[in-house]
Amino acid sequence: MQRATQPTPGGRRPLACSLYSIVRALALVLGAGCALTGAARAHPHVWVTAKSELVYAADGALTGVRHAWAFDDMFSSFALQGIPHKRKGAYTREELAPLAQINVTSLKEYGYFTRVRADGKKVPLSEPVDYWLDYTGSVLTLHFTLPLKAPVTAKSLMVEIYDPTWFVDFTLADKDPVALQGARPDCKLEVQPATGFTVAQGQQLGGETFFNSLSATGSFGAQFANKVFVKCP
Amino acid sequence: MPMISILSGRVLARAATAGAIGVVLLLLMRHTALAQGAFGVGSPMSAPPEAAGGLVGWFLQKQAAYYREFAALVRAAKQTGGVAFGLLGVAFSYGVFHAAGPGHGKAVISSYLFANGESWRRGVTLSFASALLQSLVAIAIVGIAAVLLSGTAQMMGAAVHDIEIGSFLLVIAVGLRLAWVKGYGFLAALRAYRAPAPASLSAAAAEHRTRAAHEHDHAHDDDHDHHHGHHDHDHHAAAPDGACPACGHAHGPAPQDLAGPGGWRRGLSAVLAAGLRPCSGAIILLVFTLAQGVIWTGVAATFAMGIGTAITVAALATFAVGARSAAARLAGDRRGVGLVALRTVELVAALAVILVGVLLLTGYMASERMFLV
Repeated sequence: MQRATQPTPGGRRPLACSLYSIVRALALVLGAGCALTGAARAHPHVWVTAKSELVYAADGALTGVRHAWAFDDMFSSFALQGIPHKRKGAYTREELAPLAQINVTSLKEYGYFTRVRADGKKVPLSEPVDYWLDYTGSVLTLHFTLPLKAPVTAKSLMVEIYDPTWFVDFTLADKDPVALQGARPDCKLEVQPATGFTVAQGQQLGGETFFNSLSATGSFGAQFANKVFVKCP
Repeated sequence: MPMISILSGRVLARAATAGAIGVVLLLLMRHTALAQGAFGVGSPMSAPPEAAGGLVGWFLQKQAAYYREFAALVRAAKQTGGVAFGLLGVAFSYGVFHAAGPGHGKAVISSYLFANGESWRRGVTLSFASALLQSLVAIAIVGIAAVLLSGTAQMMGAAVHDIEIGSFLLVIAVGLRLAWVKGYGFLAALRAYRAPAPASLSAAAAEHRTRAAHEHDHAHDDDHDHHHGHHDHDHHAAAPDGACPACGHAHGPAPQDLAGPGGWRRGLSAVLAAGLRPCSGAIILLVFTLAQGVIWTGVAATFAMGIGTAITVAALATFAVGARSAAARLAGDRRGVGLVALRTVELVAALAVILVGVLLLTGYMASERMFLV
């Protein structure tokens, strides 16, 4: 381990060469470190199968979004842990009321995973109303309505339902995932479910692409967005 | 002049440490204020800045796929009542991929190994110890909160949150300790480099003397400090004339470093910092198996996950150890510029640990968001 310790001037390596090599090694390590910590994001721990209704007033203005989100059975049983209930394996709406309260309260921080745009402009949402949980066949479903701060009439409406950080995976229900309630009959509904990951995306492993993709902002979550469009002429 | 730089170096290092502690305390206060009222909501950590698909996405996708299989496999295990090898296999694979995903553990362990020039065996040991600890913490939380106390998911979320804060503080503490030690090493190397050549020559003899003392010191004074590099600076401080340009040289890890009584303790802080925070997935799985009446299957799966995690972390630790020895080799005879560069790199690794800790604590780098309930 010990090298000759004669401190000859020649023992000093050329500054540039030595520094360069070491800086390169450092860059490699830091690069890997950043990649891994930058990768500090979670895969979904909650899967939601979503059904939603857009609620319209008599004058044709959108007043709110009504959701019914069914959780996966692992998360359902996790959420139910320690919730007092009378009958084994069954929970009444009353027994689940405190949990529903917690759910909607905590969803606020995440903007209820719901974004509404009317003719391209962001529409602010109010706190949820009419919220409750039901438990059927080992699946817990959260029902709630998000009223708009003010009803909007728009030619082109877009509602997005997703978690940009993909901690919660939102999948639209297979059958009738979105309904219009009380909309004008000439309004057209179009639903674009999230594409999710594709194998091709997973294979973009080229060095530069990889590091670019780590520093890129914003685009990651978009692929999990479920989009609902309503066009009213 | 060397005397002066020793003094100013110490003053600088102290001032820097005091400053860093102050910043951390301020951030902590701010954080605590934010955290209040957030209980039951899960982690108050805000959403992380976005990263995109690519390799990260692929890892996430794999994890998600494995994770999705858990529920069905647990139900199958409940039906058959036998040992759920399928579940254990999937849990193991999940662990391998999961360790490549969120978590500061790897960053802490790798930087620690890199900065300290630890051996590969120690690196692997630390990796396995931290992964095992992570499994045990998950089992302890569910065992105590859910099984013994019949507590709710919120209770577990709160426990995880507290542990999380503790482990982030510990990361910062480990980083500060490393930076302190490595800062000295850096200053010593810098001073040695700056020292005029005649002084170096005259110091050669002194160095030979001190080296004897050094090895002596080394042989039975191992547990008095954690870090290999530390010897350098101790040594320096011990040489009052300060004219000891080669004092900063590193020795190869002596065998007794690994097996000696101080061996375990030396890495303990890094293991705690890296492994204290349990994996949310493990907790959810454990609670699910509890609800299905097959909690022991869940416990076994949690350990399988831990082994998978350990393997990935050990692979990264190997990389860190390799990079470190490459850097040391590039530093050549470890004097002059080479030594300064090596010490700089060590210091940067130490500072990186602090940075990771601060980012985690302030929520700019989210680990895993805690539950939604």
